[in-house]
Amino acid sequence: MLTYTASRIGQTIIVLLIISFIAFLLVANLGDPLSALLSADATVAERAALIKQLGLEQPMLSRFASFLTNFLQGDLGTSYRTQEPVAKLIVERLPATVELAFVSLIFTIFVGIPAGIFCGVNPKSPISRGIMLFSITGITLPNFVVGIALIAVFSVQLAILPSFGRGETVSLGFWSTGLLTVSGWQAIILPAITLSTFQITFIIRMLRTQLMEVGQSEHIRFARARGVPETTIWFHYAVKNTLLPVITMLGLQLGNIIAFSVVTENVFAWPGLGSLFLQSIQAADIPVIAIYLIFVGAVFMIINLAVELSYPLIDPRVLRRK
Amino acid sequence: MSMPLLEVKDLTVTLSRQDRQIMALDNVSFSIKPGEVLGIVGESGAGKSITGAAIINLLVPPLRRTSGIITLAGERLDTLSPRALRSVRGGRIGFVFQDPMTSLNPVITIGRQLIDTIRTHLRLGRDQARRKAIDWLDRVGLPNPDLTLDRYPHQLSGGMRQRVVIALALCADPVLLIADEPTTALDVSVQAHILQLLRDLHRESGTSMLLITHDLGVIAKMADTVAVFYAGRVAEISPVKELFTRPRHPYTEGLIRATPALTAAGEIQLNPIAGAMPGLGALPNGCGFNPRCPKAQDDCRTIVPPLTQQDLSAFACFHPLERSLVQ
Ligand SMILES: Nc1ncnc2c1ncn2[C@@H]1O[C@H](COP(=O)(O)OP(=O)(O)O)[C@@H](O)[C@H]1O
Ligand SMILES: [Mg+2]
Repeated sequence: MLTYTASRIGQTIIVLLIISFIAFLLVANLGDPLSALLSADATVAERAALIKQLGLEQPMLSRFASFLTNFLQGDLGTSYRTQEPVAKLIVERLPATVELAFVSLIFTIFVGIPAGIFCGVNPKSPISRGIMLFSITGITLPNFVVGIALIAVFSVQLAILPSFGRGETVSLGFWSTGLLTVSGWQAIILPAITLSTFQITFIIRMLRTQLMEVGQSEHIRFARARGVPETTIWFHYAVKNTLLPVITMLGLQLGNIIAFSVVTENVFAWPGLGSLFLQSIQAADIPVIAIYLIFVGAVFMIINLAVELSYPLIDPRVLRRK
Repeated sequence: MSMPLLEVKDLTVTLSRQDRQIMALDNVSFSIKPGEVLGIVGESGAGKSITGAAIINLLVPPLRRTSGIITLAGERLDTLSPRALRSVRGGRIGFVFQDPMTSLNPVITIGRQLIDTIRTHLRLGRDQARRKAIDWLDRVGLPNPDLTLDRYPHQLSGGMRQRVVIALALCADPVLLIADEPTTALDVSVQAHILQLLRDLHRESGTSMLLITHDLGVIAKMADTVAVFYAGRVAEISPVKELFTRPRHPYTEGLIRATPALTAAGEIQLNPIAGAMPGLGALPNGCGFNPRCPKAQDDCRTIVPPLTQQDLSAFACFHPLERSLVQ
């Protein structure tokens, strides 16, 4: 268990280093900080001073080292677009994205898992067939179509939910939350549904397939031959066998929700990291783009780490396969 | 004659395939007396496992029992409600599966699987059930039973797992144990231990047993009475000694001659029956064995021979063997 944990953490750190190196290369090669930071009429001396100040004349590796050092000290560079520290931009936008991801995940878990188990246990019931039909729609429709359709119905036709923004937020020091106000909740419902539609349908389909497969297995037949009640068989014996892939997928989904909420945030003018990323791309704001990419990579790696560390608790065979 | 513990009468199981109904078991009848070990023997695909599963209604589509009466101590099993059936499964009839590598739930501890089974059938508190579970692990010969309770199946060897499977089948004190090829998936060296264990437990508790195997060696060691299956039908039912010394059905004789034997000259002799057992839905008219039978005549090719009792044996053959195999 200890070696398992240590090796997982080690791997995570290595991958994070690689991601930050790639992001650094992006900044170092794509961006032109001089033209971005200098005014058009800057002198050659000013130019040389800035080169010195940014350390641009140093060899690549030592520049990466100082990039990392600064990074770890919280200096994420300066945005070309707004001339503000990148760290400040990220911290401003983070709560909106995290809260949206959190609410979407809650929807995913509380709708997707029960529906998936139901479809896996009763694959032939009319309700299951209905759910599966709905889930095909959910899996094929692009995110922005779902978002626009929801806006058309609930914001335009019925006019009961807002179509853009976060509503009122409450500041808790470093964190501004929309989850403490009614308008905040009203604002988050549509984007969260949009974002979770795909995830919900995905979880339903996966749980169903997994459960139907486990349901055929010899150990479930044996449990039946011992008279174990069907509820125990399905909700404990069978479901526990599907947890490994389900937790893995949920982790990946959460990463996806945080990383790729770009489209949804754009449709709902949600002031999160996704919209920041889009604005930065339009302005070729390389430092922000690079940090965003590192952030996304880190989110994926950390979630993945948490998922992998939970494996031995779910399925003790994991430790032996190593 | 005492009343049989288990009686299977005219059990017919069909397999639905597209538009066809194929018979997988055709009017199978046999019975088991209290305390008796009935061996079912036959080639792979003869319908042995389907018979075992049909008794506790464990068949899943496309297989379906279409007719037949099954009684346990006089009580009909084939008409039970699902709820009553659950108390028979694992309660009055224990079932041992073939492959201990797949028949235990890999993510649930052995203790939990045992305790769940015990508490399904016996009104015991957690602690009592736990003690009974430890007791059973001890009885089936697992070292450190209280530690084993918290183990997962993958932490045990195949032989140890099969001991757990046997404990799971017997833990609610059933009156009948159905063991479907309980040693087939195991190493040869382990097989003998498991057979010995089954025999000891049978002797201790007096539980009746339906032992399904393709191995005449296992039959010779374990069974009191033997039912020989061929292509979904019963070919012969005889006391074990009678079966080996005076087989009546030509197929039974073929099976016995097909097992390796040492000749007087010290050579190993093997006489497999020519041809192969017909697959499902490919039964010839008349007796299923007639294409491979040295004694087949016209009647064998047109009429299915009924099971008839003569002396100690019952057999489904118009031209039974008369000679004894031992000189
Ligand atoms: N679920 C199933 N679907 C289709 N055919 C089956 C199924 N189960 C068993 N059979 C067929 O029924 C016949 C008898 O099977 P079985 O009782 O398992 O034989 P065995 O005597 O080897 O235990 C075989 O031909 C087998 O292929
Ligand atoms: Mg079989």
